[in-house]
Amino acid sequence: MSELVLETEKIDKIYKLGGRRIRALSDINLKVKRGDFVSIMGPSGSGKTTLLNVLGCLDRPTSGKVILDGVDVTALPEKELYKIRRYKVGFVFQTFNLLPYLSALENVELPMEGTGKSKREMRERARELLKLVGLAEREDHKPLRLSAGEQQRVAIARALANNPSIVLADEPTGNLDAKTKYEIVRLLGKLNAEHGTTIVMVTHDGAIASHARRVLFLSDGKLLVKEKMGLLAKEKLVCPACGREVQVEHAFCPHCGRKL
Amino acid sequence: MGVCLNSSIIASYPILPTNITDGESLSEGDSGYILISSNLTSYFGANVGDAVEINGEPFIVKGIFESSSQLRTVYMDISTAQRITGLVGKVSRLYVYVVEVSYATQVADVIKAMYPELYVTSYQDRLANLQRMQEMYTQTLSNAESSIAQAQSTATQLIIIAVAAASLIVFFVMLYSVRERTKEIGILKAIGFSNWNVMSQFMLEGMLIGLIGGVAGVIIGSIAAPFFSSFLLPQLNLFGGAQQTQRPLQYPGLAGIQSYNVATLSPQFVFLALCAAAILGTLGSLYPAWRASRISPIEALRYE
Repeated sequence: MSELVLETEKIDKIYKLGGRRIRALSDINLKVKRGDFVSIMGPSGSGKTTLLNVLGCLDRPTSGKVILDGVDVTALPEKELYKIRRYKVGFVFQTFNLLPYLSALENVELPMEGTGKSKREMRERARELLKLVGLAEREDHKPLRLSAGEQQRVAIARALANNPSIVLADEPTGNLDAKTKYEIVRLLGKLNAEHGTTIVMVTHDGAIASHARRVLFLSDGKLLVKEKMGLLAKEKLVCPACGREVQVEHAFCPHCGRKL
Repeated sequence: MGVCLNSSIIASYPILPTNITDGESLSEGDSGYILISSNLTSYFGANVGDAVEINGEPFIVKGIFESSSQLRTVYMDISTAQRITGLVGKVSRLYVYVVEVSYATQVADVIKAMYPELYVTSYQDRLANLQRMQEMYTQTLSNAESSIAQAQSTATQLIIIAVAAASLIVFFVMLYSVRERTKEIGILKAIGFSNWNVMSQFMLEGMLIGLIGGVAGVIIGSIAAPFFSSFLLPQLNLFGGAQQTQRPLQYPGLAGIQSYNVATLSPQFVFLALCAAAILGTLGSLYPAWRASRISPIEALRYE
């Protein structure tokens, strides 16, 4: 369990915008162990999505290394990266990004297309995953006939299709109403707790972030050191079971043990 | 045809057909016997030795000869022929054989002068006639050939235009489709599709568009081609007319024309056309598919 799934070394990401250099990420050193559930919090524009794109091999850092499952993916040529995205990483997006003309089941099967799995194996795996996210009954529905929360569940099932080493969730609750938000983040918590799925989630919502085992803060492209973290983490949650105040970092209430 | 069945005449002049295929030729005194051309056997339903009835008189088929023309001919004794046709003492045609061929025209002229009421032709006249007809047919044939060649070159031009148009249509449709589906491409790439996966997806789609167009084209073409060719290629109808007048002459060239079916679609042609359509679809989508494969996933995901 202490094995490192993801490690970054001094990641910098610099954009050039009309002659101006914008430092989106600066000296990011991040370690994620297998079975961990990390939230990265930060206001919009702090570089959260950029960080996630770099971690998921959708984007390359300007300098620094990303080591995924012991492989330095920053050293891989462009045409090898799709394999990393396909087998090592599962993406969950804020806008779900399901293909509208495919059924829930077919959307989940999509990442397995061309992996050498037979149609039947794909179907079985997709059914199993839809059951896991609680949508076994809705497999034939097209995304437009599903609620937002259900669509995000399908997207989570799709992210898990090829049994990735890490799930990267980019504001997975950003497009959901207050009630559904918690259902989705609890689903992520359940996957992490019961199936050992390693998750890195980016959010600006403290209450959502608190469901993770660890919460990190990103500000102006920098991961904040611990003492500064305390200042930002003043936001408090109220445990719905015992009514006492809980630090946002906690995934479980320290007073009554209820999962948040 | 009634012939004088006198053994010395039969022996000296070729008045009876020589190409007997079954049975034997007529000889002196064969008044109840006939020779029939082979194309009459089915008409009479008779063979050598069978009895047939002509104008109420029974005859026995003695021989069957291969007709050099499409004429259906019966040879019998002249006096019998005159009797059953009610032309006793009359003939409709006389063949005059000259000993020296080169005098044939002079002999014909003499006969013409002596019997101005007769219609006299010599073999030279007939030969000249044949040559005129031959020329006429050759002329018609070459006219038709040139009009076919013209039609074919027009068709070739049309095919080139159609091919270019088809490829361009697929090209633009696919380019538009790639633009419309930028977001989808971004999603596919984010969940692990390689550039080649994306490219082949779009090429497959282009091929399918081409194939669907090809199938529709074959269906429309097979209905419309016979219809259009009837007024786009009117010259060919001349042949139909020429063919119908049954001339006792063989024109091998015309037999060739008759099998020249302009407006039919052979299975090979349909197969070829569908292959071409699929290839054009794939080629037309090549660049759009390549563009699709080069789309950056991050930008595509931001695209709405």
